[in-house]
Amino acid sequence: MTTPTRPSLDDPSLTIPLEHAGIFEPIPLARTERQQEFYALKDGEMLLNMGPQHPSTHGVLRVVLKISDEQVVDLDPVLGYLHRGVEKIAENSDFHHIISQLDPLEYVSSLFCEWSPVMSFEKLLDVQVPRRAEYIRVLTGELNRIASHMLFLGWYALDLGGITPILWSFAERDEIVEMLAAITGAKLLFNYFRIGGVNGDLNHEFMSRLGDWMSRAGAQLDAGMGLLNANEIFVRRARGLGVLDRETALRMCTTGPNLRASGVPFDIRRAHPYSVYPELDFEIPTRSEGDSLARYLLRMDEVRQSLRIIDQCLHQMPDGPVMARLPRLLRPRPGRAYSAVEGPRGQYSCYAMSDGTDQPFRLRIHDPSFLHLQLVGLLMPGNLIADTMAIMASLDPVMGGVDK
Amino acid sequence: MDRAFRTLVERTFGDLLTGPVRQRHDETEMRIRPGDVPQVMRTLHDDPALRFEYLGDLAGVDTGDDFQVVYHLYSVVTPDWLRVVADGIPRDQPRIPSITFLWKGAEWMEREAYDMFGLVFEGNRDLRRIYMPDDFVSFPLRKDFHLPDDASRSPGGGVRPMEDAATPADAAATTVRRSATAP
Repeated sequence: MTTPTRPSLDDPSLTIPLEHAGIFEPIPLARTERQQEFYALKDGEMLLNMGPQHPSTHGVLRVVLKISDEQVVDLDPVLGYLHRGVEKIAENSDFHHIISQLDPLEYVSSLFCEWSPVMSFEKLLDVQVPRRAEYIRVLTGELNRIASHMLFLGWYALDLGGITPILWSFAERDEIVEMLAAITGAKLLFNYFRIGGVNGDLNHEFMSRLGDWMSRAGAQLDAGMGLLNANEIFVRRARGLGVLDRETALRMCTTGPNLRASGVPFDIRRAHPYSVYPELDFEIPTRSEGDSLARYLLRMDEVRQSLRIIDQCLHQMPDGPVMARLPRLLRPRPGRAYSAVEGPRGQYSCYAMSDGTDQPFRLRIHDPSFLHLQLVGLLMPGNLIADTMAIMASLDPVMGGVDK
Repeated sequence: MDRAFRTLVERTFGDLLTGPVRQRHDETEMRIRPGDVPQVMRTLHDDPALRFEYLGDLAGVDTGDDFQVVYHLYSVVTPDWLRVVADGIPRDQPRIPSITFLWKGAEWMEREAYDMFGLVFEGNRDLRRIYMPDDFVSFPLRKDFHLPDDASRSPGGGVRPMEDAATPADAAATTVRRSATAP
């Protein structure tokens, strides 16, 4: 009787042919130069699919990773899982109707998705927004910015393996969305801004909740950040990860905190002032490292500035109407308008064309997450697979905005 | 409105402009031919008097007759947004040079314009669909693309009913043109 021997791994009958080694079968037809380059696998490289249901892709995103051992060589994000053609929808709805359609774009900070289209429609119509309405917009917008950054803090820690910070940051976020729910009626998709103002004045519940929260917000936020800022595991993991330099950031059309963490002090609130921001006193935090840690710390600095802005808004807010007098049916003169606002993720902008009817001829929505996701392909190569999500999360893309 | 900037643009580009430089609110608009895009963009980006380092947006537009590509740029030298409109891109030959040699980040925005309008950006090395599946054949944001959707007949479609879907499904599609000329 012979003892069975282990088959040799070098036996050619046992090796899997290369074209069956990947998950993709067949490997898609390369249509472009870049695709050709991506799908040409060198020795030792393989393709790995991530998503679209991966929990830490922050939405529905599929990424095809080209890996060599544990290292990512290249990656190709595949978008479109949340695409609903909002620009086409907007071309077929009237101006008031569009606002509610734009909310679900960046569902984490939906007030900013409303803000830039509303601003461009006001430009088309030459409407003067009442000052109180502008102050309310800034106040609610900054609250939403804090809520969004709190979500970032929690998510980012979660992606790096920390469970506690999300519980802390959600306590703050929940308090803010409750406040906003008191005036807008919704916790996530607010649908609050209107062409020519806002839908409803501040009310008692909002003011009492806000006053209550403002008295302890600074200390609470510091406690939440304290969990991470001095956490050695977190800091050593995030420092030097996914470094983005100044020139590349500009070449890649990066905006918002990701650009400012690379040393460019570009903030539309100061660079191209809108609303009542010129009357408010705040700083633009900037960092020069350009790594994941800098992007995280910069967002936390922004939260402090937002608290300053909210405080000033409450002191300076004038009395008066919150809506301009406008007809219900809006027919702007033929023309074009572009407006951009600084959201928690960067520049939200909108290019509206009117042909004189009550529906826009063309409405272009520009979302920062779209461009920041593109950046992942540049920052990832050379890093470990486990760092994919750490880098992606530090750029803070939201897939609703990416896919439109 | 920055009047001085307007004269600067007129002086710098001269013959490259195909229409008057227009200003409204905080925007300055210049129109150029699609073939001149690389030259104009390089001047805007590199000229020390202009320094448009930051590309704000790239959008495709279907005017009903032809296509436009609209760029929005920001610079520290002027408080205005600069809008560069490359217009008159023919429907049967929708080709325009890419600007990825200046802004690599425009790559995905050009892919999106290709996906939605079928605009071919020459020089973009990854020009394929980005939102729609690879085997999709039409270009959804073109004005002759109908919404194949019952929503167009719902009462929630706004003050005016939405664009009519071609009914019944096999009826010949007619081109919907809401305006003969671009606004």
